[in-house]
Amino acid sequence: MNIHTYEKTWLAVAMVLIVGFIATITYGAVGPGIAMIDDDGGTIDPDTINDDERFSDPGVTHVGGNEYEAAVVAQAWAYTPSEITVPANSTVTFYVTSRDVTHSYTVAGTNVNTMVVPGQVSEMTVEFDEPGEYGILCNEYCGAYHHTMEGKLNVVPEDEFDLTELSTEAPDEAQLGNQTTINTTVSNDMNYDLETTATLEIGNQTVEQDQTVEQDQTVEQDVTVPAHGSETLEFAVDTTDFGTGDHDWTVTVDGHEGSGTLTVTNATEGGDGDA
Amino acid sequence: MAMRNAYIDQFPEEARVIRAALWSSFLALMIGGTLGLIQGLHRTNVLRFIPSQDYYTVLTAHGVLLVITFTIFFLVGIFTWAVTTSLDRGVKDIRFTWGWYAMMSLGTLLVGVSILGGVVDQIPMNADVLYTFYSPFQAHPAFYVGFVLFVVGTWLAGFDWFRTWWAWKKDNPDERIPLPTFMALTTMLFWYLSSIGVAISILAFLLPWSLGIIDSVNPLLTRTLFWFFGHPVVYFWLMPAYMLWYTMLPKLSGGKLFSDPLARVVFVLFLILSTPVGIHHQYLDPGIAEGFKFIAMTNTMFLLLPSLLTAFTVVASMEHGARQRGGEGYLSWLKALPWRDPAFTGMALAGLMFAAGGFSGMINAGLSINYLVHNSWWVVGHFHLTVGTAVALTFMAASYWFIPQLTGKEIWNRSLGLVQVVLWFIGMTFMSNAMHRAGLFGIPRRTAEPQYEGFSFDPAVGTVAEIDAQVALGAALLTLSVYLFITNMVLTTIGGSTSDAIPDNTYAGTLSGPEDSPAIIDNLKLWTSIAVVLVIIAYSLPLASIIDAGGLFGPGIDPWKPSVVVDPSLVLESVRGVMP
Ligand code: HEM
Ligand SMILES: [Cu+2]
Ligand SMILES: [Cu+2]
Repeated sequence: MNIHTYEKTWLAVAMVLIVGFIATITYGAVGPGIAMIDDDGGTIDPDTINDDERFSDPGVTHVGGNEYEAAVVAQAWAYTPSEITVPANSTVTFYVTSRDVTHSYTVAGTNVNTMVVPGQVSEMTVEFDEPGEYGILCNEYCGAYHHTMEGKLNVVPEDEFDLTELSTEAPDEAQLGNQTTINTTVSNDMNYDLETTATLEIGNQTVEQDQTVEQDQTVEQDVTVPAHGSETLEFAVDTTDFGTGDHDWTVTVDGHEGSGTLTVTNATEGGDGDA
Repeated sequence: MAMRNAYIDQFPEEARVIRAALWSSFLALMIGGTLGLIQGLHRTNVLRFIPSQDYYTVLTAHGVLLVITFTIFFLVGIFTWAVTTSLDRGVKDIRFTWGWYAMMSLGTLLVGVSILGGVVDQIPMNADVLYTFYSPFQAHPAFYVGFVLFVVGTWLAGFDWFRTWWAWKKDNPDERIPLPTFMALTTMLFWYLSSIGVAISILAFLLPWSLGIIDSVNPLLTRTLFWFFGHPVVYFWLMPAYMLWYTMLPKLSGGKLFSDPLARVVFVLFLILSTPVGIHHQYLDPGIAEGFKFIAMTNTMFLLLPSLLTAFTVVASMEHGARQRGGEGYLSWLKALPWRDPAFTGMALAGLMFAAGGFSGMINAGLSINYLVHNSWWVVGHFHLTVGTAVALTFMAASYWFIPQLTGKEIWNRSLGLVQVVLWFIGMTFMSNAMHRAGLFGIPRRTAEPQYEGFSFDPAVGTVAEIDAQVALGAALLTLSVYLFITNMVLTTIGGSTSDAIPDNTYAGTLSGPEDSPAIIDNLKLWTSIAVVLVIIAYSLPLASIIDAGGLFGPGIDPWKPSVVVDPSLVLESVRGVMP
């Protein structure tokens, strides 16, 4: 075959260029940094997402050290949970799946980006160095309101981060002179036990632990919440000295607060006793 | 007066079919371009007159009309010209030729009507599934039937050209395949190979599913089958443009093609490498092992080779043409080129933009960089340079040469033609550059709204408002350019008077002819076999593992009909409802 010298030179340059590209890209991909999305996440029947250990209670959990896992369920047109908070200097493995059509899970303006195909679980490991706030968006068309599908990613300083959650349960009303209880459930998704103090405050006084709370008091209880577990605390409240009317209360655990109002009624008003 | 020898004089019957195909193509361009303007204005919030939910109907139509209808109707027209001209014989049976044209038209009609149903209540259909129709979105069956009819129409067109060539070969047993025919045939071979993917996806899965015969599909499988076809289709659009760059541009420059053998090598490389690369569209997909993505990446990079070779040959041929016209010097020969000819200037500008598009494409193809730009507006900027300009502008430019050949009439206004192609170049510079930049800081593609509620985009350079303004301006200039083009074509066809000054129907000669390459280059069976083997290597394992993991029909995936439009706040309620 008769090839002009210029052509030969160009051919050689082109080949060198191509091999160079492949080498750089291969180095970039296998070197440190981001791992490829592949088939590690496995498959899942969308109808069984709620039964799956990872997705039945999606969100961030601690694996150990500075490693975390975040499970997210995508569905037209929202993510559950929509907001993810992780500490700086952490390595987070995301597991994302879809309940309906194909979506993406994309942290805007970064290379944290994966398709979310129904039937598949996308597994993606990301290193977060610096604190920052990012938008999350769906960049695969997923129906008429695709443009509303978004979320939030917060990378917070390590010392501001925990996985403690608080929920309280208390009656709205009690009869003057009766006892009632304010229940507080503390959950901990860190991989170690959480030792902390729970404080109930009604009004502005402080009383020691295990005492029945009387008027205008604060009560503290020490509590140990096991790793990936939860603990329920009972604060007994004696309304004898409260006087009728509204009494605001606040439960504080590990910097998290739950609050409500207890209305103390006269016996004759027919309140619900010691509910 | 000398006898005129334009295409219409040589092949009046074929000229009618080609005219019909080109007009179908132009109509799609006009509608598609208008929709592009609606998109450009809507998502930048410059001018809005549709609800954002309807944006996706518009976008589906824009994608389908431009990358399927506009490009492929032009292709079948131009390949019919290439085969008949270079073999110097008509098609075997013109009724068959009209047959495939009719089939493609019917397919387009079905697809078009089913998409239109997304905004017209009187049409009880919906196909708001975009041109990628990923399951579990489910379009109306007419959409899938139309798509299949269209593709089968192109298969028959290919058969038409093959049998014309077989007949020619019988009469010319010892001759090399003329270059334009060689290009058309090699292109069709990889088209047959790759469109099997979409045919299986539709016929085995999506169509029976939309008819209720099967009740689940495997979304990753149909998606992979789509991209089995979806990347080669890119080269299917590009090959007619390449053919025009090889066979027309040197002639328009006043010279000859630099090398016939190299042109053949380029088309053989496309035949071999076009299909085993589709997985590079799925770098971010779960369920596909990293190794398969690497194979696709490597093949993709080698696919740069034929394009780099083309860049060389095209520039070298233009230089040769310029020197024939008296051009001199290192670069000042450029001034000797026929810049007043819209056909030449349009193609040259298209080639220039393709170089830019090739550059952003290399970035897309990089596995890890892809994570930043995947599905961002960067990608839209990229393919408006490639298919949206390298192909589209080449087709429009070539029409300034072809329409006189096919009608026997002079172009109504050539200066306007020159303005038109330059306008496209300017408009696309604005739109595409702004889209590339937008993608880098995260603005996604296929999205009706410019902003989100909970966060805002943060460009390193410039502002979102300035970028949006450039997209809107670019879109307006491009649409104006489309209308100028259509006006010129319409007035040429219905207004212009028949002229005897139409040049002869010829294509570029070569400096180095086919005799400089070994005969094995023309062995289509050999190259096709290699292409098949490479496809098997690249695809059998990924497909097997997708089917193995998710099942042939998926793990119980429910169809999603996009017509069910509900209020997003109700949806949020339902999300809470299903969460445990
Ligand atoms: C008047 C000229 C054109 C204008 C103003 C225009 C405008 C646009 C805009 C603004 C988008 C982005 C939509 C989004 O991401 O939300 C888009 C998408 C697209 N355009 Fe164009 N375009 C034009 C011509 C073309 C041409 C000539 C082609 C191909 C031959 C083309 C092919 C596409 C494709 C394939 C998409 C993506 C569709 C999808 O995401 O499903 N466009 N166009
Ligand atoms: Cu989505
Ligand atoms: Cu979406």
